[in-house]
Amino acid sequence: MVIVNGEPVAEAVGLNIQTFLEQRQTPVDHVVVELNGHIIHRPEFENTTLSPNDKLELITFVGGGR
Amino acid sequence: MQPTIQGMSIDDVYQGMKARNVADSTTKLTDAHVTIAGAGGLGSNIAIALGRIGVGHLTLIDFDQVELSNLNRQQFKLSQVGMDKVVALKQNLQEFNPFVTIDAVAKKIDHDNVATLFETADIICEAFDDPSAKAMLLDAASEAFPSKPIVMATGMAGIHSSNSIISKQVRPNLYIAGDGTSTGAEGLMAPRVMIAAGHEANMVTRLILGQPTI
Repeated sequence: MVIVNGEPVAEAVGLNIQTFLEQRQTPVDHVVVELNGHIIHRPEFENTTLSPNDKLELITFVGGGR
Repeated sequence: MQPTIQGMSIDDVYQGMKARNVADSTTKLTDAHVTIAGAGGLGSNIAIALGRIGVGHLTLIDFDQVELSNLNRQQFKLSQVGMDKVVALKQNLQEFNPFVTIDAVAKKIDHDNVATLFETADIICEAFDDPSAKAMLLDAASEAFPSKPIVMATGMAGIHSSNSIISKQVRPNLYIAGDGTSTGAEGLMAPRVMIAAGHEANMVTRLILGQPTI
């Protein structure tokens, strides 16, 4: 179980962050990712694998404003 | 002879600015430096709100020029079409309040210049339109300045309820206003963009005045 924005997600375990975001259809460049309280920068998405009990926070942005 | 501006004494103009500000706020506001990333619908409205109350130092950063399609929501004039947005905004701010130091920076913000551009800011205020630019700024600023307050917005398009725009404190130093879902494809209009800008500007004001909760 990975806790994603407070919700348990069983199927996230074992996936890397890049794959997890793609499966959720979250645009990779619109999101800032925190894993267990630390920011994971985009180049590290593919090398970072989600483990049981990880806490993943996704801060996702939509456009419009400028 | 007393120094004057547009025929009024500087002292009277200053006292006028102070008269309706919240008690004991003006000195703290004068001492603050806020850097605003983007000078469009959000940024121009945020800058004018903060400029009017006398935030002493504003840095405005945007690479874009004023276009006719901006005028339904951005604080520019017909006479300013074609100008750099930061230059036009500085001009307007100076007419509203002469007691603000304004740095107009016509530059594109990228991951590599965030550490330099925002170094002297007390508070970072995000006012981009592009969601990947918003994410880039948060990513880079979190790395360069782990505890500096950053105020952002996401979702202020369309004509949805005003009350769906809220402020959230996502981390101790990260505040995000907006409805979180509406996108620019719905259309962007001054009333709702100004609500999100107002959320950001009020959060910045609260932070300057020592009230860091939403």
